[in-house]
Amino acid sequence: MSALAEILFGGLFQGSLYAMMAVGLALVWTTIGVFNFSHGVFMMLGAYIAWQLVELGLPAMIAFPIAVVVMAGVGWILQASVVRPLIGRPNIVLVVVITTLAAGSLIENGALTIWGPRSKQIPALIAGNTTIGGVGVSLHQIAIIVITPLILAALWMFLNRTRLGLALRAVAQNEDASHLVGLNVTALYGLAFAIAASLAGLAGIFMGGYRFMSPVMGSDPLLKALIVVVFGGISSISGPIFAAYLIGFFEAACSYYFGLYWTPALLFGVLILTLMVRPEGIFASRSRGLA
Amino acid sequence: MNPILSVEGVTAGYGRVTVLHDISLEAGRFGNVGLFGPNGHGKTTLLRAISGLLQPKSGRILFDGQDIVGHSARAIVGAGLIHVPQGNRLFPDLSIADCMALGAYSPRARPHEAENREKVVRLFPKLAERWRQRVRTLSGGERQMVSIGTALMSHPRLLILDEPTLGLAPKIKDELCASVMDISRGGVPLIVVEQDIEFLLELTQQLYLVNHGAVATEIKPGESLDHGEIMSMYFGH
Repeated sequence: MSALAEILFGGLFQGSLYAMMAVGLALVWTTIGVFNFSHGVFMMLGAYIAWQLVELGLPAMIAFPIAVVVMAGVGWILQASVVRPLIGRPNIVLVVVITTLAAGSLIENGALTIWGPRSKQIPALIAGNTTIGGVGVSLHQIAIIVITPLILAALWMFLNRTRLGLALRAVAQNEDASHLVGLNVTALYGLAFAIAASLAGLAGIFMGGYRFMSPVMGSDPLLKALIVVVFGGISSISGPIFAAYLIGFFEAACSYYFGLYWTPALLFGVLILTLMVRPEGIFASRSRGLA
Repeated sequence: MNPILSVEGVTAGYGRVTVLHDISLEAGRFGNVGLFGPNGHGKTTLLRAISGLLQPKSGRILFDGQDIVGHSARAIVGAGLIHVPQGNRLFPDLSIADCMALGAYSPRARPHEAENREKVVRLFPKLAERWRQRVRTLSGGERQMVSIGTALMSHPRLLILDEPTLGLAPKIKDELCASVMDISRGGVPLIVVEQDIEFLLELTQQLYLVNHGAVATEIKPGESLDHGEIMSMYFGH
């Protein structure tokens, strides 16, 4: 019983974090058709901005939303500076991999210079612990498990039930046709990056509440998010969400039965198998598009 | 009557390749305009330049007396110049309803959304039956109806159609021709690019033969031409 509870809980928790990260990557890919390799750095920056605001004396419940909003601005600026000028180039995917990697490295080292290498921690969303099914868990983790699906559902509602969301989905499918119905394509690109960066920043705040933060804290989650989107299929946002939870459960089960040491190897084994059998991802349809 | 659109000495192309060489033409003076000519001679490029998808290297494009060169595609749509691109690719994973909502995205079209939607449904009753269906699941003819319907939702003052009958069966072509005629009778001037000369002769009053990126021949109303003469223009003498 406690084994099952532990796997279930660990899977839900890791899956939530992966889903928050992966959805942003998928959103940027479906709308703009590029991979954002500074996505992990967004996560780190969100956590550090939140830490700084708390350090300045703001209560966490005010500092966190501000950090998320600031991250939206950061995402927009990054898009305008290293992505937008390259749009229309024939080899844009590769070029943007390099420019976003470069920008990410710059921001990472900037954070190191400003905040130093010493590990930091931000306050938990809810302090305290409890026991469920014989497993001791923190309320912070439970909060993440509850909040993440709500945020993902809100994102889904935004994409599927609002006019602006409809415009984002349209840009994802056909850029020329979007111009011809009068959509502001550049602004929508900026919006996609802004939403992705906010979600990454929020994931960073979640993570900084239970683990020590460092300027390189985003690189492992970025790698995991990449695995999630490759695994789940990049062509939609629901695919990566399901894949995120699936991988969360897989990791939780692996580390319970085989230990933390073997988990990455097994995960990559599954990824390679997936790519061999279904290169487009398990939940993917064959076209690009949101929702 | 003043032309609603006049293209004056436009040169345009992609990168170092120039496709349009100092092309000039007018639309709206004598009713609908048809463009025809061999593939790869700049018709689609001209339409892309007019709708702001491509920046001309030189020349002026006047819409309703205002130079729109350098304006964004969004501003041009906002002014009521609506371009239905070739190949009805549209938004494959959106529903017809979604496409219609997108058509009415510009602030100019938004107040007329309900009225235009009724117009589209009246014109293409088939679309109403499949209102929630994804565009990719529709037939070629239906997709073309969605393309034109989306354009009508944008409340056009000038409608540009790029090869609307491409790849359609003859029966569907005739239906589409009748619908486009209805649109024209409703007071929207048209520019139509078409390979099907019969279609053009039926719909338009003024014809331009576009060849090598320039206007080779202009056929004004009254200068009636028969099919054979046009064919000989097409293929050289």
